[in-house]
Amino acid sequence: MFKYIWQKEIRGQLYTWKGMVWLLVASLLLSFTSYLLLTNKELSLLDQTELLWLLSKIIIGVALLIVTIDASSIITTEFEQETAESLFLSPLSLKDFLIGKFLASFTLWLALFVVATPYMLATSAGSNLALAFMGYILLLGSLGVAGFTFFVFALSLFYRSSKNTLTTSLILLLALATPALFSSTLKTAPVIGAISKINPFDAIFSSLDNILVDYQTSLWQNWQFILPLFMFCLLTFALLIFTARLFKKQGIIKSSE
Amino acid sequence: MKYFYTLIIVLGVSLLGLHVSHAQTGLPLELTILSSRTLNGTAGDFVTVQGQIKNTSRAAVSDVTTYLSLVDTENKLPVDLEDWSAEKGLYIGTIDTGQVFPLSWKIHFVKAGTYALIIVATAPISDTPQVSAITRFNVAPKRNLNPGNILPVALGTPVAIVLLLSLLAYKRQRRAGE
Repeated sequence: MFKYIWQKEIRGQLYTWKGMVWLLVASLLLSFTSYLLLTNKELSLLDQTELLWLLSKIIIGVALLIVTIDASSIITTEFEQETAESLFLSPLSLKDFLIGKFLASFTLWLALFVVATPYMLATSAGSNLALAFMGYILLLGSLGVAGFTFFVFALSLFYRSSKNTLTTSLILLLALATPALFSSTLKTAPVIGAISKINPFDAIFSSLDNILVDYQTSLWQNWQFILPLFMFCLLTFALLIFTARLFKKQGIIKSSE
Repeated sequence: MKYFYTLIIVLGVSLLGLHVSHAQTGLPLELTILSSRTLNGTAGDFVTVQGQIKNTSRAAVSDVTTYLSLVDTENKLPVDLEDWSAEKGLYIGTIDTGQVFPLSWKIHFVKAGTYALIIVATAPISDTPQVSAITRFNVAPKRNLNPGNILPVALGTPVAIVLLLSLLAYKRQRRAGE
């Protein structure tokens, strides 16, 4: 049954001009960045590995932003447009509904990854890191996107309002992204160091730094970054299960009370 | 007693004079450049400047710090070392009599031009720093036109997406018209 929800969302998002414009904008952003990184007099002096690291940050950053915005409205619009009632009157379980919506949001990330592939191939040419670069972006990006989607879905079921969900999600995204941009010197401070150990953004960027700059390409050499990301996914998934149970208890009509 | 005080004052003034004259004479340190005095390369290249510092006096010199000073000789301007070298200064500490310390700096040629680099050594015992001989850098510009075929990708991908969107829109219109 989740297939129906998934296909419905994909048709709405990817089969229309308006729904696909973000992909074009993302592609223009990647074109501009990669062209600038490779041809600008001063930026082109960066090591190729540093250049890949910078590009990977942009790809994952854009993906998380797009998926967070999309996930913030994908469930709440069903409540705001009052289609949730009729949906749940059909033989559709909440589980199938959430899986379908999750797959739709995750497809956006995969679409962005496909668009980013030519840029990744062109920039990593000759570095012997192309496979590791693309593989880890897919792995780390997927874990990050999954974790954030679970969190946003949990908020959506709790708030049932796209405005509140979007605001809270974007604030959290910004709050997590900011410390990840601190220099490594600042991260030696105990508080920032502790935050950075559990921050999923930090885990993604530190792992990419470990792979691309320090050539630590095996999964074993990156477990200390993948594990917190995995834990983040589990934690947000648990939060989603909790809010889903709460949602079931409260019923669909809560928002109109 | 009067003579004794006079003697103390004279001695004090002499010692002060000695200290001042020592502070003005400069550091008893010898800075030698061991790497080539002229380094050529292209913007983006890394070179290593090597040298050594030697204490030529009969006493140890403490709190010695060495650092780099880079000047753009074309524009007659000092250059901020931020992108050029990760280590701007090296703290040596105490150098005993006759002791020699090696110095090494990895320099990143950031921008094309001609530059002059000197190593400067300072220590609290003197107001005058010790400087090395000049190392000249001739940095050629880096021609980086369309590396890795980025231009076709940068232009081609958005165009491909626009074509794909147009195709989808066309198909939808045709389906709606049927």
